[in-house]
Amino acid sequence: MALIIITGTLLIAVILSLLVKERDKIFGLIALSASIVELLATLFVFGQVAKHGIYTFNSYLSVDYLGLIVMLIVAVVGLAASWYSISYLKIEMTHGFVGFRRVKQFFVLLHLFILAMFFAITTTNPILMWIAIEATTLSTAFLVSFYGKPSAIEAAWKYLIINSVGLLIGFFGTLLFFYPAIDKLYNGFLTWGWMVANVSGFDPFVAKLAFIFVLVGYGTKVGLVPMHTWLPDAHSKAPVPISSLLSGVLLNVAFLAVLRFKMVTDLAVDHAFSQKLLIFFGLISILVPAFIIFTQKNYKRLLAYSSIEHMGVIALGFGFGGAGILAAVLHMLYHALTKSILFLSSGNIFLKYGSTKIKNVAGVLKTLPSTGVLFFIGFLAITGMPPFGIFLTEFSIMAAGTKSHPWVVIVAVLALALIFVGFLRHVVAMLYGETEKEVIPREMDKNNLAPIILLVVILVVLSFYLPTGLKSIITLASLAY
Amino acid sequence: MIFNLLQIIFLLEVVIFLTAVFMHLIHKSSLLISLYRLQSLIISIFIFGSAIEASSILLMCVAVFMFVVKVIVAPYFFTKLIKNNQLKFASSTYLNNPLTLLVVAALTSLAYSQYFQPLTILAKGNVNSLLLAVATILISIFLIINRKGILSQMIGILSLENAIVSFAFLSGLEAAPNMQLGIIFDILVWIIIASVFAKMIYDKFGTMNSTIMNNLKEE
Repeated sequence: MALIIITGTLLIAVILSLLVKERDKIFGLIALSASIVELLATLFVFGQVAKHGIYTFNSYLSVDYLGLIVMLIVAVVGLAASWYSISYLKIEMTHGFVGFRRVKQFFVLLHLFILAMFFAITTTNPILMWIAIEATTLSTAFLVSFYGKPSAIEAAWKYLIINSVGLLIGFFGTLLFFYPAIDKLYNGFLTWGWMVANVSGFDPFVAKLAFIFVLVGYGTKVGLVPMHTWLPDAHSKAPVPISSLLSGVLLNVAFLAVLRFKMVTDLAVDHAFSQKLLIFFGLISILVPAFIIFTQKNYKRLLAYSSIEHMGVIALGFGFGGAGILAAVLHMLYHALTKSILFLSSGNIFLKYGSTKIKNVAGVLKTLPSTGVLFFIGFLAITGMPPFGIFLTEFSIMAAGTKSHPWVVIVAVLALALIFVGFLRHVVAMLYGETEKEVIPREMDKNNLAPIILLVVILVVLSFYLPTGLKSIITLASLAY
Repeated sequence: MIFNLLQIIFLLEVVIFLTAVFMHLIHKSSLLISLYRLQSLIISIFIFGSAIEASSILLMCVAVFMFVVKVIVAPYFFTKLIKNNQLKFASSTYLNNPLTLLVVAALTSLAYSQYFQPLTILAKGNVNSLLLAVATILISIFLIINRKGILSQMIGILSLENAIVSFAFLSGLEAAPNMQLGIIFDILVWIIIASVFAKMIYDKFGTMNSTIMNNLKEE
């Protein structure tokens, strides 16, 4: 029932947003109400999964342990992003950057985007999951080109084309996973459970080829190097609430697709095959952004490259296996929260300075003291500083690979150190120093701070204390993969 | 009879393959659309054949929906795009024609190489057709990379999708009919969105040549 409530709420939110005329305040009210309902329904599902294991609504929709973790991420970050959007767009409207029509378009597409992500997580069918992930691309393409500038349109086109090619490659891989079901398809509806149960009929060579296509295909959406080229452009051009959802949430949804296929592949061949591939893509996804982060000139692109790096860390965790998987699942959660904190704070910085270039931003701690502190907390957390959760997960992932892949761990740790230095360099330049142009030292709106503070509180609490229910669900999620 | 049917299927697959090859070589936008229309028509015939074989009304609906979307609606959108923006000729390629053909030949050889041999177990007596479908997939990806024009990139993606559908038909790995309806609907939305973007790009940049778009390099 909870899954229907989520779907229904989002559909109603889309319809209501389409019906709104003139009064832009109603969009925010609809978005906030819908997000609260989604979060409550997700918490209900959490209770059901904690009690009974997999929560099945019908043969089309169900939630497993890892699906629940990603669903929680969608609900929490979705609430923060929707909440933040209200005041963010209000300020943008006041400045004349966007008009009523654009705001309407924003909220309609935001609801569709969140709906597609929920559906991708909860569907039991790989093809429906593919359709839902493709729908996330289609619903967000216009959000990437939201400001209508030539660079935004270019980024959106790049996003649409590269992701479409990637997802078609992923679709080809998905079809190959249907191999055990040849000639049986017209009789029924193929589910993840069916694929796992019938894995004995899967030819190992076809399974290997299928997983390569799936990894390259969905890996494009995850932003793994070298399929990442669209990500920094799209994430930096979209309005910040969307950037926070793209970086913090959507990448995890796409990763979930890879992991579901990994589970089937591991049963058809052996764990080593998928692990080697994940380690390869994971390592280069840490290494390449490390150098780019160091020389980055745009703080939104800096955060986007950091997302690629963290997807690499998660891939390494699943690649190393064992305790690395548990840490990788936790890393998904911590990264989503931290990246959203950083993107939303960067939104306040953008509203104040009117530029995303690092050289144009200085003295944030003076001009935006609260945002500056929140941004600094986000920086410490994202670069893996103790006591934040990412320190623990990165340490655990590297520890898991020390024995089996010592050279990979050494290279990854060196890259992470370079990322810290690069980040520090940019953050110090932004937070301290004197501004060249005159900026009035005052926070824009308290509603631009509240959602970020909420995320910081959740991040800090979860860094020190994981509730027993959540801990056991994360453990069970990691055991399945 | 079966032998003849396999031959016909192979012949149709050859036509699909050739449309993908010619998409690389021709420069007239209307011809490019016609090639896509022909390719889509054959794919619709494949699905129609599947529907008759399986006596499935739902699959028949899939074939009709596919025909409407790919053979009528998509070409209509593209033709409108050409007329409105006076795009008589699609943009050029990164590689010249001889080099393009060389790469196409290499990709076809790759499809028939040992790397894709595991897939032959999927073929029901039509190994050549199946590997030709794989070659079409690779050539379509190359089309997206090699062409500078927005319209060619769009048609490249749709050609890639056609190639995957033909592979699924030949290997028996088709998704259930209701899923196929969902996929075609997805493609329809994609076509509409991509066409809107193409129009936006033309309005902003005054051309549909993707090489003109280099605003992101300055960041």
